[in-house]
Amino acid sequence: MDYPPGKAPLAILIVAIVSGFLLLIYPAKKSAGNLQVWTFADSHFKAYQKVVPQFEKTHPGVKVDLQFVEGRAVTSRLRAAFASDLPVPDMLETEISSAGTFFLGPLEDVGFRDLTEELHKPRPDGPPWIERVVRSRFAPYTSRRIVNGKAEDHIFGLPHDVHPVLLGYRRDVFEKHGIDAEKLTTWDAFLTEGRKLLAKLNVDKSGDGKPEMNHYLIGLSDTDCGDLEVLLFQRDGQYFDAEGRVRMDDEIAVKTMLWYVPLVAGPERVGYPVGWNWELTDKAVQSDLILSYVMPDWLTGFFEQHVPSGHGKLALMPLPAFEPGGRRTSTRGGTMLGFTKKSKQFATCWELGLLMYFDIESRAEQFKELNILSPLKGSWDHPLLKAPKPYWSNQPLGQLFASQADNTPPQYTSPYIQLAKAKLGEALCDCVARYNAKGARGFEAYVRKRLKQSADELRLQMTMNPYQ
Amino acid sequence: MSNERTNSYSLWRHQQRLAPYLFVAPFMILFCVFGIYPIVKSLYLAFHVTNGPRSVVFTGLSNFRFLLQDPDFYSAVKNTAIFAFFSVFLQLPLSLGLALLLNSRWLKGRDVFRFIFFTPNLVGQVFVGVLAGVLFVPRFGLVTRFLHWAFNANLDMKLLGDPDLVMPALVGTALWMYVGFNCIYFLAALQSVDKELHEAAAVDGANRWQQFIHITIPAIKPVALIVVIMSTLGSFQLFELPFMMMGGPGPNKAGLTVVMYLYQRGFDIGNLGYASTIGWTLALIVLTISLAQVRISGAVRGQR
Repeated sequence: MDYPPGKAPLAILIVAIVSGFLLLIYPAKKSAGNLQVWTFADSHFKAYQKVVPQFEKTHPGVKVDLQFVEGRAVTSRLRAAFASDLPVPDMLETEISSAGTFFLGPLEDVGFRDLTEELHKPRPDGPPWIERVVRSRFAPYTSRRIVNGKAEDHIFGLPHDVHPVLLGYRRDVFEKHGIDAEKLTTWDAFLTEGRKLLAKLNVDKSGDGKPEMNHYLIGLSDTDCGDLEVLLFQRDGQYFDAEGRVRMDDEIAVKTMLWYVPLVAGPERVGYPVGWNWELTDKAVQSDLILSYVMPDWLTGFFEQHVPSGHGKLALMPLPAFEPGGRRTSTRGGTMLGFTKKSKQFATCWELGLLMYFDIESRAEQFKELNILSPLKGSWDHPLLKAPKPYWSNQPLGQLFASQADNTPPQYTSPYIQLAKAKLGEALCDCVARYNAKGARGFEAYVRKRLKQSADELRLQMTMNPYQ
Repeated sequence: MSNERTNSYSLWRHQQRLAPYLFVAPFMILFCVFGIYPIVKSLYLAFHVTNGPRSVVFTGLSNFRFLLQDPDFYSAVKNTAIFAFFSVFLQLPLSLGLALLLNSRWLKGRDVFRFIFFTPNLVGQVFVGVLAGVLFVPRFGLVTRFLHWAFNANLDMKLLGDPDLVMPALVGTALWMYVGFNCIYFLAALQSVDKELHEAAAVDGANRWQQFIHITIPAIKPVALIVVIMSTLGSFQLFELPFMMMGGPGPNKAGLTVVMYLYQRGFDIGNLGYASTIGWTLALIVLTISLAQVRISGAVRGQR
């Protein structure tokens, strides 16, 4: 065949025509569902796949289209859809650090339905939902607006979880060296005994006078603020207050940073970063590299799945308190279920949401699979939560987490929450570098200055928001 | 019959005038929709602040004024400039060195080596970023273990967790990706150098080094300038590599680049107006650098 531009362009043209033709005769399958739900967590997706048939049975005519959409994709697709009036799902899950970004701007522009009234409605079978759920868990999904000098809270999402944090420790190692970890109820006590244990384990094998650091007491990062924020929340610290004002340079933040940095920096460090590569975490467990972990409930599920070396070796205990009688838990992470304003079937969506989130049986089943504690207080007495978990030295995981759940601190949100985390991380890096270089000399003054710098940079960015 | 002929001729003339526009129309429509409109809209947004899905508030030049006092922007520009500098000026000699090796007469299996050097470029920055994230893990990562074995480096060295080591890690990864790609350009340039010039120089008593300096380098200078310009432009658009290696800007913004900063402000915080401002500022920076490079290359061509 004689084609003037040549053989290669002819081949490309033929491929283009053939593929275009194939697309026409085999178009993308349109969803059969009439109620679209997005979730970003694979574990949630699998759990909800069991709930959906039950819901469809009791709601004839409703076909739920449950879709797994990757976390960042949810945020960017939803933001684009809200901005340009494109179709959005009827309901979707979004992660705690992204939720606040959707509350930016005037209330009427927020794409999620305000659930405040629905949550406060009296119910025929008992108190309203707002009283049945751990109250602090609404904080990350609440936007507070000042109207005529009065504060009004608008709740835009149902909390999926509480995510109480316990301390996961190497029971086998502690017991072998005669330490009853559960008696170490304060951080001072835990660190004192922990250092003695490390002194026994980290010996000088090479004969150079310095012990080989092959064991660390606790998995804490010296660059990422995730672990630091857990301990900050435990002490009632916050990035923002309930009105959205920056608080990350207050006295509690300074004290927490002063306490945290020597654990991960300097010659007396006891912390080692855990990271998110599970094969390497498994290797770390095999080699006894890290002897305890700051463990929210969801992380226990990941350990069970991806860290087989920890089976039977790890146990959980409440976090040591900062002072005797103090709070022994914190919180990390979270998911909310939001209902989009564009959905024309809110009543149906609400019922599905209640089944996914606030049905005792389905949440107990979810706990059995994922170790994620429901914020619904009534679900904590379910027998499945009392079942011993062999991985965790046969401890009743559900009961352990439930015992601390009501004490979890709130996490106040802001559209700038991700920036706040980044700024705290920067302050942490600088404080670690400073401590490594100069030790404790003048360290407190430096921490104050550095945290203030981060907080002021955040405040500067917030001045761009005319609605702030 | 005469009328039919006239009508047919004028119809043909009409079609002949319209035909070029019709052929060009599909491209122009797509280009206007996906090229021109976003550029114009971003210029509009650069003078506004967006907060939420629909609120767009006109703020004049305040975005640009804010940019000038924004410490995060300066960090991003600094990181990007450092990356571009080392990336380009390490790539150049490495790519040329590899090309010289590949061009050697004594080398067997030239095609195999060419494929090996070029392959990293084929897999894309996302794949390389994920791979590097695993290789650089402290204590267990292959690169960390190799550096410990070869140079007695600290096994706990955090190549992606230490702010001072992030940039070397990024530059090293980018070199691995792009040295082979640029080597192909140099190889083509080396193979086009007239061998008779080398023979004549050898007859005149020039040694290999002198031949390299006085014949090879001037001959491949145009290609070298193209490599520098393309590498610089590519470096200023750096985003995927640090994003995939560290999941974000890394410790203490050590991996924050201008494009990543634009992404954060636009898509993490939702301020598309400020993100557009950053985009236009980046375009101006890149334009300035490109014009400077073109001027230098024009000066060099004048010297030749």
